[in-house]
Amino acid sequence: MKALKTFAFGLALGLGAAVARAETLDCGDDTLCKIEATKVLKVGTKDDYKPWSYRAADGSFAGMEVDLANALGQLLGAKVEIVKVNSANRFEFLAQGQIDIMIASATDTAERRQVVGFVHPNYYSSGYNILLPKKVKATKWDEMTGQTICAIQGAWYNKPAQEKFKLELLAFAGTAEVESALQQGRCIGVLSDDNLINVQLADPKWADYYMPLPTQDDAPWGIAVRKADLDKPWGVLVAGAIANWHRSGKLLELEKANGIAESAYLRKMHEALKDHLATQ
Amino acid sequence: MSETSIFADVLRWLPFVLWGFGLNVLMSVLAIVLGTGAGVFLGLGQTSHIRLVGGVSRLATQLFRNAPWLVLLFYCIFLMPYSIVISGATYNVPSWLRATLGFSLPVAANFSEIVRGAIGSIPKGQWEAAEALGYSRSVTLFRIILPQCITRMLPPWMNLYALLITATPLASIVGVEEALARTQAAVQSEAQASFLIPMYATLLVMFFLYTYPISRISNALERRFRTV
Repeated sequence: MKALKTFAFGLALGLGAAVARAETLDCGDDTLCKIEATKVLKVGTKDDYKPWSYRAADGSFAGMEVDLANALGQLLGAKVEIVKVNSANRFEFLAQGQIDIMIASATDTAERRQVVGFVHPNYYSSGYNILLPKKVKATKWDEMTGQTICAIQGAWYNKPAQEKFKLELLAFAGTAEVESALQQGRCIGVLSDDNLINVQLADPKWADYYMPLPTQDDAPWGIAVRKADLDKPWGVLVAGAIANWHRSGKLLELEKANGIAESAYLRKMHEALKDHLATQ
Repeated sequence: MSETSIFADVLRWLPFVLWGFGLNVLMSVLAIVLGTGAGVFLGLGQTSHIRLVGGVSRLATQLFRNAPWLVLLFYCIFLMPYSIVISGATYNVPSWLRATLGFSLPVAANFSEIVRGAIGSIPKGQWEAAEALGYSRSVTLFRIILPQCITRMLPPWMNLYALLITATPLASIVGVEEALARTQAAVQSEAQASFLIPMYATLLVMFFLYTYPISRISNALERRFRTV
């Protein structure tokens, strides 16, 4: 009986420790004030979107979006705490306050703006396209009508691609599952992000594949904060940081460092915002 | 891609996934403790002669026993607040802990049925004999009936635990970083089809090595306590 009591006590202690006591601060709803007081920046990032955000074998996060999170942490002098989110829970995590900011390859859409505050300018942009084996000769999207194409579950472009071009989509959990399905001949190509396809094509493994169709519906990605923060110091600071990254060319640099082919959007934004006095 | 390098890749990711498996074990242990505690009350409640207690216990048991675990999990994750204010202080409840509560609900309901079944399996004559000797109902229950029930409840309780641990990967769906979520992250990071099968096989072996001894012990106990 005594052992049982000790066990129950230990359990209660463990539970208490797990329910970490949050700092009580006089910041009200000001997220920036909270980050500066605690010196901790909680960033929500996915871990299934190489090379934008993924895991290293030691459990640490890596990728272009993680580099952005670290740059933001450096700017604020805060420790960056990466919280893993997924497509299904990222907006809830932000709204509930589990994260202060979301950098999770989220496309900035009108629907999502009702839930979270997307900070502008946008930090990235991509459209969708199809990765096809070179033996499939196609030049127009209409030729894909009725074909079975592999896709990744939850991608925003699955629905428009299906509606516009009448594709038969076969959706899987991730890129590895899609690759396996493609090898088994369950689909003729892969519907995906055009930037992601470019990354894949740089790998000799995909030498027999190409991307012959024009990219569709180029849409910008947004870094998000809570809606209440959008026009408050926190949202404005993040907006300024993104604008500076465009201006200085940091985004182009990080894209290159992560092995992604230069995207037209980042080049265009850099040209628009660059210092007009800087000598070439 | 040669076989040795795939093996090396799996080995490289193993500690990462094992830490996640630690969370599965932690969630299952906490959930079985909480669930068993609540299940005892529900089970005894079901046998109560007080109509209100009996009715509420039966309703709760049937409700949580017949609901899909995943649905209960969703309820606990998305309806429970992330931070709770207790007497002025704010406490953050991490996802895995909310998921644990989600798992303990069906465990409690299932254990409630185990308790009710065990009490029902003791011959009715014992109740009558105790009454004839002047024992009250509660003394009969705690001094005569329940001690005999414990050995009968042990094997199904261990079975319930084995079911529980194999159900914990459901938590990955609601964003808890346990072994399955980490395996998926590893597979995405390696981004190669040949890595898929070995990685999931590793996860399978992990769960098997943990669960198999439990089911063996439970079988042995069942044989030992079998009443002829």
